Amino acid sequence: CVGSLDEKYNVDPKSPTTALASGFVANAERTLVRTLVSTNVNLNPFRFYVQYWAATDYPNESRYDLNTRSIPTGFWNALYRDCLRDLREAKANIPSDITIPAESKDNALAATEVLEIYTWATLVETYGNVPYTQALDFNTARPAYDDQARIYTDLIARLDVAISKFNPAANTGFFTTTASADLLNNNSTALWLKFANSLKLRMALIIADVDPAKAATMAAATTGKVLASNADVIDLAFNGTFPNTNPLYEDLVRSARTDFAGTSFFINRLKGTAGPVTGVVDPRLNDYFNPVTSTTQPAGTFTGGTYGSGNSKSLTSLPGTKLRGQTLPGVLMSYAQVEFMLAEARERGFAVGGTPESHYNAAVTASITEPQWGGTAAEAAAYLAEPTVAYATAGGPGATYKQKIGYQKWVALYNQPVEAWTEWRRLDYPVLTAPNTAISGIPVRLLYPVVEQNINGENYAQAASAIGGDKVETKLFWDKF
Amino acid sequence: QDRTISGRVTDRANGQGLPGATVLVKGTTVGASTNADGGFSLSVPSSATTLSVSSIGYTTVDQAIGAENTYTVSLAADVKQLGEVVVTALGQERTRNSLAFAATQIEGNQVTAARNPNAINGLSGKVAGVQIRQSNTMGGSTNVLIRGTKSITGNNQPLFVVDGVPISNANTNTSGQQTGGGGYDYGNAASDINPDDIATMTILKGAAATALYGERAGNGVILITTKKGRQGLGVTINTGVTAGRIDKSTFITYQKEYGAGYAPEFVEEDVDGDGVLDNVIDLAADASIGPRYDRNLQVYTWNAFQPGSPNFGKKQAWVAAENDPSTFFKTAWTTNNSVVIDGGNEKATFKLGYNNVRETGILPNSSIDKNIINFAGTLNLTSRLTASSSVNFSVVNGFGRYGTGYSGTYAENLMTNFRQWWQTNVDIKEQKQAYDYANLNASWNLTGPGSSTAQYWNNPWWSRYKSYENDSRYRTFGNVALTYKVTDWFNVLGRVTIDSNDDLQEERMAYGAVNISGYSRYNRTGREANFDLIGNFKANVAENLSFTGLIGANLRRESYKSIRATTNGGLVIPELYTLTNSFSPINPPVESETRRAVDGVFAAATLGFRDMVFLDLTARSDKSSTLPEGSNRYFYPSASLGFVFSEALKETTPWLSYGKLRANYAEVGNGATPYSIADSYDKPTAFGSVALFSVPSTKNNPLLKPERTKNAEIGVEAAFLNTRLGFEANVYQSNSIDQIIPINISTASGYSFRYVNAGDVRNRGVELSGFVVPFRNDNVTWTINANWTKNQNRVMSLFEGADNIVLTTYQGGVSSNATVGKPFGSIRGSNFTYLNGQKVVGTDGYYVPSATANEEIANPNPNWTGGISNTVSYKGISLYFLVDVRKGGQVFSLDRSYGLETGLTPETAGLNDLGNPSRNLIADGGGVIFPGVQADGTPNTVRAENSGYASDGAGGYDPTFATAYGTSFNPAAAFVYDASFVKLREVSLTYSLPKTLLAKVGGVKGVDFSIVGRNLWLIHKNLPYADPEDAVSSGNFGQGYSTGAYPAVRTVGANLRLSF
Repeated sequence: CVGSLDEKYNVDPKSPTTALASGFVANAERTLVRTLVSTNVNLNPFRFYVQYWAATDYPNESRYDLNTRSIPTGFWNALYRDCLRDLREAKANIPSDITIPAESKDNALAATEVLEIYTWATLVETYGNVPYTQALDFNTARPAYDDQARIYTDLIARLDVAISKFNPAANTGFFTTTASADLLNNNSTALWLKFANSLKLRMALIIADVDPAKAATMAAATTGKVLASNADVIDLAFNGTFPNTNPLYEDLVRSARTDFAGTSFFINRLKGTAGPVTGVVDPRLNDYFNPVTSTTQPAGTFTGGTYGSGNSKSLTSLPGTKLRGQTLPGVLMSYAQVEFMLAEARERGFAVGGTPESHYNAAVTASITEPQWGGTAAEAAAYLAEPTVAYATAGGPGATYKQKIGYQKWVALYNQPVEAWTEWRRLDYPVLTAPNTAISGIPVRLLYPVVEQNINGENYAQAASAIGGDKVETKLFWDKF
Repeated sequence: QDRTISGRVTDRANGQGLPGATVLVKGTTVGASTNADGGFSLSVPSSATTLSVSSIGYTTVDQAIGAENTYTVSLAADVKQLGEVVVTALGQERTRNSLAFAATQIEGNQVTAARNPNAINGLSGKVAGVQIRQSNTMGGSTNVLIRGTKSITGNNQPLFVVDGVPISNANTNTSGQQTGGGGYDYGNAASDINPDDIATMTILKGAAATALYGERAGNGVILITTKKGRQGLGVTINTGVTAGRIDKSTFITYQKEYGAGYAPEFVEEDVDGDGVLDNVIDLAADASIGPRYDRNLQVYTWNAFQPGSPNFGKKQAWVAAENDPSTFFKTAWTTNNSVVIDGGNEKATFKLGYNNVRETGILPNSSIDKNIINFAGTLNLTSRLTASSSVNFSVVNGFGRYGTGYSGTYAENLMTNFRQWWQTNVDIKEQKQAYDYANLNASWNLTGPGSSTAQYWNNPWWSRYKSYENDSRYRTFGNVALTYKVTDWFNVLGRVTIDSNDDLQEERMAYGAVNISGYSRYNRTGREANFDLIGNFKANVAENLSFTGLIGANLRRESYKSIRATTNGGLVIPELYTLTNSFSPINPPVESETRRAVDGVFAAATLGFRDMVFLDLTARSDKSSTLPEGSNRYFYPSASLGFVFSEALKETTPWLSYGKLRANYAEVGNGATPYSIADSYDKPTAFGSVALFSVPSTKNNPLLKPERTKNAEIGVEAAFLNTRLGFEANVYQSNSIDQIIPINISTASGYSFRYVNAGDVRNRGVELSGFVVPFRNDNVTWTINANWTKNQNRVMSLFEGADNIVLTTYQGGVSSNATVGKPFGSIRGSNFTYLNGQKVVGTDGYYVPSATANEEIANPNPNWTGGISNTVSYKGISLYFLVDVRKGGQVFSLDRSYGLETGLTPETAGLNDLGNPSRNLIADGGGVIFPGVQADGTPNTVRAENSGYASDGAGGYDPTFATAYGTSFNPAAAFVYDASFVKLREVSLTYSLPKTLLAKVGGVKGVDFSIVGRNLWLIHKNLPYADPEDAVSSGNFGQGYSTGAYPAVRTVGANLRLSF
């Protein structure tokens, strides 16, 4: 009889009911990095939006068609359900997880919290108001949306708490029997602290236009604690075995598809035939893109395609070979990015040390010499010596720091597309225009997922109205200009 | 003085002899039974004046005795069927008269009328209240719905019971396949029954009829009774062959004006190296928005770059293909052979059957081979104890099934290719030549000039021959039973039933394909056992008062285990399909194990008063392992009342042959999906040596309670004028409440779904069926049967005030939803914008889409369905045809959404209102004016560009990669079509050799020769270029969604039936 059956009869014998906390953290790290560096057209359209890439045969997404492929749902689900939920589970498990040494528990919790804050910040910077205080609770099927600025303020407060909890004397404690289970920072508490402080600097700059005083205090507090060299990169080294290969490899190589080409906007600027750095060939050009394959063109020709349109696969330059490796690391935060932030912070008068120019030079040098591109210091120096690149003269007379830093940061963030989009929205350079065939202006936020309209309609409507309309052109709270 | 009278009793419908009929001298007990051929002979007293000839199921005939000594008496079927025995729940045999609920019994020969090798498909259009949706793929699954969709996310397929054995009709298709994402449709398992072995099928529709079957009966039950052994020895042989060709009205028609390209321009390359640029088509483009055909232009197309093509290395005239993909299809052949041997004596009976069906499909390199053996026997051990057993063993081997939906990792669907992404200049026969040359992937869709690498699509012939699947299903089901007759009025049945499946599915993607090569295998075992103990009572309690009843218990145990393993990163050695040939180490296979146990006790009683009033009461209590302790037992009752009013009126209304009113109410409970009360974790493939864990996307619920369906039904049955005319009508309502559903919750909660008890889905409907015999005499009978069903489905409420659940999302920006106040499965997506009922066109000449992509744009549920059949028999010749109708319901066509986008169909080309090619630039007189109004309400006069170019705003043009008609410039609602159809579903012409002739041969009792046809004529439909009935899979998903649709197949054939 049913009554006499083993009590586990209704428990799935093929799924675990206990787990390692480190497994949730590693899974969230993997998901987060994959989501942010992916070029999957169902998930991450940001290489289109900043006009690094154009489509070859299927241009709809580059015309800002978000919903045919449910892009907002894909991005939202990845961050909420697949990252944040696992990080919460990790936090619940860390205290009792015997594989994490007692002295590492605080670090483990703090590192998990930093990742959570990074993920939340990305959500807020992408959508605006989002569910926060009522989120991550299965009993609340229809969570209310919180005000974006208030969430951001809370995240900053939480970040300060997390930073204070790290104990530099111990590691972060995520181990398997044989190796580190921390895919991002290899259990280095020092690196987690640098990441946390760099994140703080980043969040300071996000709010710099709306709350300069707070931003100044925050930035100053990070002085000397941020990423300090290309060795400090916050990245995840993918391995050579699917499904843990770099998502770019999956979409560009494994799929055997040819969906993307460089835009003429970007490639002409890298070639020096357009834009602020005319006459100079960017040393990253032949890393970022491959020459065209058509035999009608001289060998080594780089040609961009028309953004928003379809493009020939043989007459335009396709994404570079260096992007196509299985083990290419996915970067969450780069040293170059931090140096650009410091340059900007100095321009804003924040007490972070150095000069705008010294940080700018360090940033450009770091970008060119990043291991995945492999440029040399000499190349970087030659590039920086060009008057159109050198900080004093870049952009011509009267060029603002936003112009100078904005342009170089845009070039440098090529393989950090979400960050590139955020920084373009914040710095507003280079000046991009929507193609004639676009169905909207250039997105400065993602729409809310259609599924939220279906199942959380009332809260959705309130949020849409609170931010000024659920449109891609609605600027978020920090995007003043 | 006695004299001997002999003769024959025949069935008026077909003139064949009726065995076992009773011939009595009226008013005496003198009589005889007819022999196997219908013949009789008896000695009658001289005083006898009349013979009374009767047989169960036929109207009794009184034959006057005259001077002659031989008589042929033909009996007409008694349609009022007072005496007809109907098999009902738990195999109880009851007279139709006593039933107080709707039960339709279909004879086996009606199911096999058109020799459909799938018995379930043979029901289509024949039973009111039953909606059958067949797939057009070879061996594909059949969706069966009885009285509408009840469960929002659970199973809605009826329970199949064969000779007391509940058998699974589940399909093993992946969820991706079911939502149009690509894969194979492996069919569902109720097709593992030999149609020629079916004696009757009883369709129990409402809960009052099915409640004794317990929790699985809420969706109706299809009871199949197979043929039983009879006394004597009989052999029946069927042998037949059918041939099928595609119905071209259900396949895409191509425009012949423009060829390959995403823009109307050639690629210029110096292909021949003469220093002059040549015109090359855009080889990588899987679209036909290219340059206009011009016989005088010499261009390089794909075949210039594929060795083996007659045009290798050469230019050719720029013209449309001579052989378009409709010539890709071949004739589908099916041979169907069966033999049934039965026999017995007073002590024992047996039946042995064998059935072989071999099918080849309309696609090259496809076949299904099905072998079924069955055995049934009874043995009277003592006068009180009877043992019986039946076993059905089947082996189905599939090879090269068709890929469905959007192409998957291992399944390429060429229909997606032909209907959505194609170059109209590609000659499919030349593709075959190119493939035949070296058996390589000589694709038409190349990455570029000089390359022979496929871009998005493989050579279709290569794809069929190299990337094939194969599968097998070994299945055994059957029972052993003992019946002990305790007294005349009480017997006890003990029975064990088993249904056991072993499936293997192997899928391949060949080396050299666009997709990464690989091999995937899936093994599944399914076991279900039932243990029944049932006591049956039957007594006449008092004069005029009869009582039958039963009391019993059932234990059910189910176990399903599966494992799926795939290669990783490609194959090392091409064409070696084994897991060890994986390029990278394989990831852990996906294992699944599901167990369920349900214990039930039940009782039923039927009280009958004067064969006029019948009261049925049933009760059952189930305890399910799937629910939490404490709320895992659920009880449900039913009550039915029938009143045969014709019994009361028979003196006064002779024109009323039969009349019955009935009403019933029932409830059925149901447990949960296994493992939905306790949480566990996902464990994704480890990252190197780092174990990963993840919280699943569904939150389980330890507080679940049983779900419940409440069902009420009222019906009337009547026949008139000696049953020349009759009808049955039912109205019903069911409410399925407290459904156990993984409800969508905002993913901001950290989950996509959470199991809850929620919701109320109401189905209300009317079922009508009727017959009329417009003409009947001794030689000719013409019978018309018709049925009509209208089911209205509505979601009454969902969880905690939520007004919508997303059931699934599909490619094309549409989703399937359960919305409060709407029918189940409504499709949402972007809509047109309307102003005063007119579609609004923007200043660019294109339709203005709705503000959100969340408008309800289609309802997949039909308004009504119906069928009408005619049977005309003249002596040994019988002509039968069935028209099957579906009215209403809508379908979103991804085929249209993309096929119009890529300029494949004629409406994307041709002339516009000015008489110019619509694909000319507007500046050159082209473009189209879409019907509608402008924002101010005036009729639209703005011309939209259909040239494949859009103005770049600076005097130049950018290619749009789309025509004006496809998904780029239109909301999803533009691709919603009415799914109505009228089909000539079945036709048969049968000739039975006269007995007189057979008598001379000796040993042969019957020879019937039939010519049959299925789906011969799609009389009416509104979905262009496709069959509105076709869907990717059975189940809740895919209703109202069409992608990569297969054309309908017209089948004609012949069958010879011999009985000895």
